[in-house]
This record gives sequence, C-alpha cells and structure tokens, in this order.
Amino acid sequence: MKRPINKFILKTLLFIIPVFVFFEVLFRLGFYPVITNSTFFDVKMLTVQKQHVKNVKLLAIGSSVALYELDSKIITHNFNMPYYNFASWGLQITDTRVLLNSFVKSYHPKYVVLCSSFGDFIAPQNDTYLNYTSASDLIKDKFPELFYFKNYNSIYRVIRRKIQEYPPEADNWGGALLRVKKKGLNNDKLNKHDIFPTKYTPSNYAALVSLSASLKAQNVKLIFVEVPVKASYANTDRAKQILQAHFNKCEAIVERHGGLYLNYYNTTFFTDSLFLDQVHLQAAGAMILTREIVGDLKKVIH
Amino acid sequence: MFYAWWDWRFLFLLIGCSLLNYFLGIGIAKSNNEQHKRFLLWMGVLQGLGCLLFFKYYNFFIKSFISAVAAFNIKPDIHTLNIILPLGISFYTFKTLSYLLDIKSGKIKPTYDWVVFFSYIAFFPCVLSGPIDRPKTLIPQLEKKREFDYNQASDGMRQILWGLFKKIVIADNCASFADPIFAHYSTLPASSLLFGAFLFTIQVYADFSGYSDMAIGLSSLLGFKINLNFDSPFFAQNIADFWRRWHISLTSWLTDYIFTPLSIYFRDYGKAGLILAILLNFTLIGIWHGANWTFVLFGFINGLYFIPLILRGTINKKKKADKDGLLPSLSVFLNIAATFLLVMFTFVLFRADSVSQAFDYYRRLFSMSIFSSFEVTEKVNAITTLIAIFIMLAAEWLQRAKEHPLQIDFIKGFALRATIYFALIGYILSFSAIKNADFIYFKF
Repeated sequence: MKRPINKFILKTLLFIIPVFVFFEVLFRLGFYPVITNSTFFDVKMLTVQKQHVKNVKLLAIGSSVALYELDSKIITHNFNMPYYNFASWGLQITDTRVLLNSFVKSYHPKYVVLCSSFGDFIAPQNDTYLNYTSASDLIKDKFPELFYFKNYNSIYRVIRRKIQEYPPEADNWGGALLRVKKKGLNNDKLNKHDIFPTKYTPSNYAALVSLSASLKAQNVKLIFVEVPVKASYANTDRAKQILQAHFNKCEAIVERHGGLYLNYYNTTFFTDSLFLDQVHLQAAGAMILTREIVGDLKKVIH
Repeated sequence: MFYAWWDWRFLFLLIGCSLLNYFLGIGIAKSNNEQHKRFLLWMGVLQGLGCLLFFKYYNFFIKSFISAVAAFNIKPDIHTLNIILPLGISFYTFKTLSYLLDIKSGKIKPTYDWVVFFSYIAFFPCVLSGPIDRPKTLIPQLEKKREFDYNQASDGMRQILWGLFKKIVIADNCASFADPIFAHYSTLPASSLLFGAFLFTIQVYADFSGYSDMAIGLSSLLGFKINLNFDSPFFAQNIADFWRRWHISLTSWLTDYIFTPLSIYFRDYGKAGLILAILLNFTLIGIWHGANWTFVLFGFINGLYFIPLILRGTINKKKKADKDGLLPSLSVFLNIAATFLLVMFTFVLFRADSVSQAFDYYRRLFSMSIFSSFEVTEKVNAITTLIAIFIMLAAEWLQRAKEHPLQIDFIKGFALRATIYFALIGYILSFSAIKNADFIYFKF
C-alpha cells in the first residue's frame, strides 16, 4: 500500500515544486507580490526586509509629505541612533495607526516622528494594509515570497504592476527628496485644492487619539510634525480658520497624550517657490524644513 | 472543525440535527408499528423542514404576508427577525430527510455507528454546498475500511485542478464583469445587458460546478466516490435535458421525493396532472435557492418551459448528441443554443435583487440598443476570460463522455499529459481574478 502513496506524493510534488520555483524566480527578478493596493508601500516593505532593518530608535512615518520632506542625511548626521523613514504615498492617519501598531512591535522605536498635513485626514482607511500587518514575522522577515500565496494575485497583475506602476527608489533610510522640474507639468493639477474636512476626517482624528494613547502606553515618544502648506492654499479667511482649527485639534490630541506637537506652517518662511504643489516641498524646501525639525528635536532627543 | 471554522455558532444546530436524526433512524427501523414509524418520520421531517423554514424563509414569509395584507389596508403587528442563515442548512437538511425517508421505505438500513452517521451529515467536502449525496451511496463507503487507490486519488487531483480553473479563472472573472453590469444596468445599452446575462449564466455554472468538482475531487482523494453533480448542462438540447444535467444531486432528490409522489398523485389528470407536478416541483427548486420571489419565479418559469415538451410527449425522450463527433451537427447546435438562451433568460431573475428589477432588466434588454457597441474597461481580463470560457466549453464538449475533461488517460505519453496540466496551472496562476468572489451556492 505504501508504494502507490509514494508515487502519488512524488507526482504531486512534481507539479507543485515548479510552481514554487517559478515564484522564487519571479521574486528575484523584482516582480514583487501584490500585498496592499499601494505599490510604493509594498516595494518599501520588501526593501526593508532586504536591508535587514532592525531596532529603529528614531522612526519616521506618514504619507508622501513625510517621505519627501525629511532629508535622511541631515537626520542621520545629527542623531546618533538607528533611523528609518517608513512613510508611504497616500497613508491616512487611520492607516498610520494600523501600521504603527505593527512597526512598534517589530522595530522597538524610542521616538516616532509623524509628519502630517491636512491631506492625511480626508480619506477612509485602506484595509489592504492589514494584509501586511496580519502576516507573521516569518513571512515579513524571512520569506516575503510567501506573500504571493497569502494574498494571491495573478501573475498578469504582478507583471502589469511592475511595468506600469513601479515608483522611484528611496534612499537607504527610506526617504526621498523631490527634484521635479515644473516645466511642462499641469499647473491646474499642481494647484488643485484637496477638499478638507471630509466625512472621513472624524475617523482620522479618532485614529490620532488611539495612536497617541497607544504610543504613550508603550513608552514611545510621539513627535507630531505639522508640515508647511503653500500660502495659496489658505487664501481666504474661511480656509485659514479651517486650517487653524485643524492645527488646534491635532495639537490638543497629541499633547493630551504626552506627545510633542511641532507646527511649521509659516507662509512667509516657506514661500511658494519652495513647493511643488499645495503641500509637497521640493528638495531645497525639504532640507530647510528638516534642519528646522532637527533643531527642535535636539531639545527632546538626547 | 471544518464547519466550526466557517461559523462555530451553527455547529450546535448541526450536531443537534444529526443526533436527533441518528436516533430517529434507529427508531424507525426498530419499530414494528407502522403508526409509530410514521410518527418518528414526521418528527424528523418537521424538525428538518422547521429549521429550514425558520432560518431561511421566516423573514420572507413575514414580509410577503405584510405586503399581501397591506393591499387591504391592514397593518399586522408582526416583525421580521435578525436571523443569520446557518451554512449549508439546505444541503444537510435534505441529507437527513432522505436518510429517514429511505429507512422508512425500506431502501436502506440505519447505521448504528454514530461516527459514520455524523460523518455522513457533516462530510466535509460536501457539507457547505453539496453535492447532496444519498445515504445509500455514501454511508456504505463510510462504513467500510478504505485503502489508498492511486488512480482514484490522481483523478481526484485532476478534478480539483479543473474545478479550480472554473472557479477562480472563469467564475470570478465573469463576476468582475457581470457585477458592475447588473449594478448599473439602467445606464447601459442592451448589448451590455446581454453580455452581462451571458457572463452571469457562465459564472453560476463555473462557480457551482467548479465547487462541485473540487468537492468530488477532494472526496476521491479521501477514497470516496461521490456522484456527478453537473453533466455538461450547456450541451443540453432541451430544458428537460438541461435539468437532468444541472445540479443533479438536487434535481434527482426532488424527483425521487417530490416529483414522483406528486405525479403519481395527479396521474388521473393526464398531461394536466403532469404539468401541475412539474410546476410544483420547479417552484420548489426555485424557492430552495433562496427566500425571494425572484427564485420562485425562476423555478416557475423553468417549469413552464416543460409544457411544450409535455404536450408533445417528448419530455422523457433523451436527445443524444453524437458521443464521438468533433463538432455538433447544425440541428444539435441550434437546440443547444436555444436551450442556453432560455436558461440565460431565467438567470436574470436568479441574479436580480427583486422581480421588478428583473423585469426592468428584460425591458431594457429588448431594445434597439442591442445592436450598439459597448466599452469594456479591463480588455486583457475580458479577452483571457472569454478564452477561458472557450477552453472550458471546448474541453467539456470533447470530453462529454467522461466525468470531467481532465480524464485524459487515453493520451499515452506522460509528458504530453503533464504539459496539459502545466498549461492549465499556468493559466490559473496567470489570469485568476483579482477579487475572489464567495461561492454563490454558499448562501443557499
């Protein structure tokens, strides 16, 4: 009776092993699995795994403003501690909360720098980040190829994503600086005003509350950085009032939970020429901002 | 464990039903008194149908009653309940019923081994969505010691592969196109609606027969032989032929326990009696699918389709296509196409949220915009899905004499067979749907 079983198992393996080999080859060729619906985040997490990032004492996070407005070199030059920027395009505060729960457990940070603008409070939570956070450390750290199977997507989609959507690379600390030539770009698109607040703003405030409380409970210092916004965004009294109310709300939440709130909204210091669009600073602006942040952080980070 | 993994709350209902029917079966067999037997049988029938009616149809009946009496300006003080439908209840209830009915009629003897009986009710490949295997075929297999059979296990693996192809390549991709069409049908041209109805018909088949293939294949791996649930229904040449090939385990169950007794009861009325029996039987088939008037009408219209066959006296006349022909003859092809269109027409009801929505869909379907072109957003997905549908239909046609298309032992070279398997695996891995839809029949 043993022989037919062995034959059956062997023949089954004959069909299964090539599938695993194929996916390994695909991975090594850089056609990464689709984990979330953010291409940037997926690529970043696989880069983190490849770089063997561990014990990040100073952890930066947030949306594209955190990605593009923190100059990694300035930060690492000024602070003698492991640093990594986990920021990714389009993260809302609700998403940041989910990811921070996972990152704090994995990287044991002492300080979390959350760079944010009002644009992080306008959209619903993206549940696909749970595909990453719910994965075991074994998959995340040792065998990310298993994401092909944990969250199966067709090979067609994997290849299409690589060809059509792959983002620019980040530096060794996960950050990037914007050096975009405005010539030829669509000005209407660049000057587009995101509607704020939206029906999703309250859930993002609630996420900021729970995120702040959670970090405090884990003895992690939250440093909330309000990034500059282009002067033309708040060009009416009503817009200024809304923006100021948002600043006040964030400040109250962060400070209530023992965090540090830093606001760099200053339209005379961060002039329009430093911006690419309404909220994103170009490289020169990002360097100025980072130096300002570093100066303030030195008062709390020793 | 398997059932509880889906929803542990209904495990108690499954165990309770199994326990009661286990003792009722023994009681019916042991009793010498016909009245006592009948009493025990009725206990089982009432328990099974009672649970089914309560969990599946209570709110439907209440809502229908409220709307019916509202026509007379009466507002009764009754309310619907927040009831969650236990998984697989329609399937395992039919299994317990056939077990008791078969014991009562002397077709089978009860099993005294409670492990065997509980395994029969909760046989894990089939507990959630069938096939509804009969006690006569499954219980003896559970009672005997099984030995590993290489050929059976290999065939099971092949059938699982075929089922997987149908489910995640065809059904789920069809759903990704049909769902938005049905959701926005009022803004789309008739040609789009026709495409939507076509894709949904294919989706239902690929989804449920794909699931059945996987369940049967898994059973084969474990050494069990489960009866075929679909026999290439899209090659049926009339509606009677279609229903002999579609969801065979349900239709044969209803034929044995509902249609046959009904047709005997109405036999004095001739063809009218037969029509009545068919209409009742098919209305039941419809309502079995779900507590909605759309399903009632779906079944009823399918019953109506039988009337010309009954009147012509051809209902039991099996039309056999040439078993070996590469292509069907023109008349066979026209019969197949006409049957498909009739079936597709009723599947609009199956998919619609309400009868009025279905009629609105029909109204828009039969308009001049049937000749207009329409946009498909995901062109590559659409093309690969249509190719997959073609592969499925072609393979099922060519292998129509076999239980599933991957029974290709007639190809002598292993390398060629392996190439076919790898090609199918490659297609599944390359073009499976982005979003996996739930199995349609899980909600029944």
